[in-house]
Amino acid sequence: MRRGGEGRSRLLLIILIVTALFLITLDLRGVGLLEGARQGTQTVLSPFQRAGSVVLTPFKNFFSDVTHLGRTQNQIEKLRSDNAILRSKLLQRKNADSQLAQLKNILDLAGTAGYKIVNARVISQGSSQSFSQTVTIDSGSNAGIKKNMTVLSEFGLAGVVKEVSPNSALISLATDPSFRIGIRIARSQQIGILSGRGNRSASLQLIDNLTSIKVGDVLLSRGSIANRPFVPGVPVGFVTAVDNSAGAIAQSATVHLYTDFSSLGVVAIVIGGTAVNPGDALVPAKPQPTPVPTVTIYVSPSPTPTK
Amino acid sequence: MMRQFSLALGQLFVVFIVQEAIVNQFRLPGGGFSLLLIFTLVWAVLSLPEIAAFIGFISGLFMDLSQSSSGPIGHWTLLMIAACYCVAYLGSGNDSLSGNPLGFTFLTTSAVFLVELAFVATGALLGVGSGSFGQILLTILGVSIWSLVVTPIFLPLFSYLHSLTFNTRSVI
Repeated sequence: MRRGGEGRSRLLLIILIVTALFLITLDLRGVGLLEGARQGTQTVLSPFQRAGSVVLTPFKNFFSDVTHLGRTQNQIEKLRSDNAILRSKLLQRKNADSQLAQLKNILDLAGTAGYKIVNARVISQGSSQSFSQTVTIDSGSNAGIKKNMTVLSEFGLAGVVKEVSPNSALISLATDPSFRIGIRIARSQQIGILSGRGNRSASLQLIDNLTSIKVGDVLLSRGSIANRPFVPGVPVGFVTAVDNSAGAIAQSATVHLYTDFSSLGVVAIVIGGTAVNPGDALVPAKPQPTPVPTVTIYVSPSPTPTK
Repeated sequence: MMRQFSLALGQLFVVFIVQEAIVNQFRLPGGGFSLLLIFTLVWAVLSLPEIAAFIGFISGLFMDLSQSSSGPIGHWTLLMIAACYCVAYLGSGNDSLSGNPLGFTFLTTSAVFLVELAFVATGALLGVGSGSFGQILLTILGVSIWSLVVTPIFLPLFSYLHSLTFNTRSVI
């Protein structure tokens, strides 16, 4: 009897493992049914994610404000009861203002290049248990979004559309380890490939080894055929370190991405590229140093010497 | 038995939704935690190995169906079957591990750490990019530390749900 139980247990384990291996094989062979299952799950999840985003916004803002509580602890405690409703409204307003500012900058960026865009709110961040860097947005194929479209933030490139469902889409961020983009250097027009590394610094591999790359060089997206997945001319980042190791086949560098992925609230998806390449028009202006007033003092000797 | 598995399936689905709709909303430092992973491993410690493997199968399937999963469908499923079976095998009959909250937390956190490590290793074999070495290390340590913090908080609830579902009397 015991042996029979052990046999059944072993059989169940084998069946489960074989099923998992079967699923992996099917997925790696690109069977559409499994891809559809993921999209179906996202369709089911997106209303929950949208609701969660709305409900949790005040709490998320609260957590970000916790670091500033120390300075005004006494004042907050004194006014807490009176201002509870007001604070809640203010937090929501703060969030709306921040999203509005992001949206304005995105529109400026897209307007300069002549991109046709669709704006969307970030409603969920992908779990990092799988080491991927993704976010979910609240617009999908119903808004004209398709797979492999460029995603912009207020500072430049944010990522690319990875999956689309009717009312939501999954964005693979530029920090994702599997993210690759063809870039050109604004100064020298050299081309290369940028790869995500899981954080805000990415690695750049130049195609040609003959020209040099310098710290501070600005990188722009090179663009793809029919503007998908990438439209040309989008600011990506700037070079922070150059690897000049002898014997390397191609020059490589470390790049700091323009987009602040930790505060990504609103993004724009480029649904129509421009017929004319914007060139270097979107290169961000270098920060102007604040002029320091200089005081010149003229001293003239008095005609009668003092004793 | 079917009723028990239906109940388990429903609860795993609810935890999956909570993970995707609530936990993922907070941008926690160090990668945050996976409630579904912790829930499954806690249940695995409390279950017999074959039941744990089945729970791992369902849970892994949910993880694979998540849009943020970078590996092929079946990747998490395979890992979770193995992890839950091993955890249940270690936990069953070993009261020093599964009988007290400290041992329980230690076992669950260690399992989270090893599962994440196994995900990176098998992901590399399947061609899944996981980022730089530093980033992987940071994420694995972050997720493990979060698990260490979160497991004791949810342990009473998870073990209570397990006892309700499988009609067992062991509640941590």
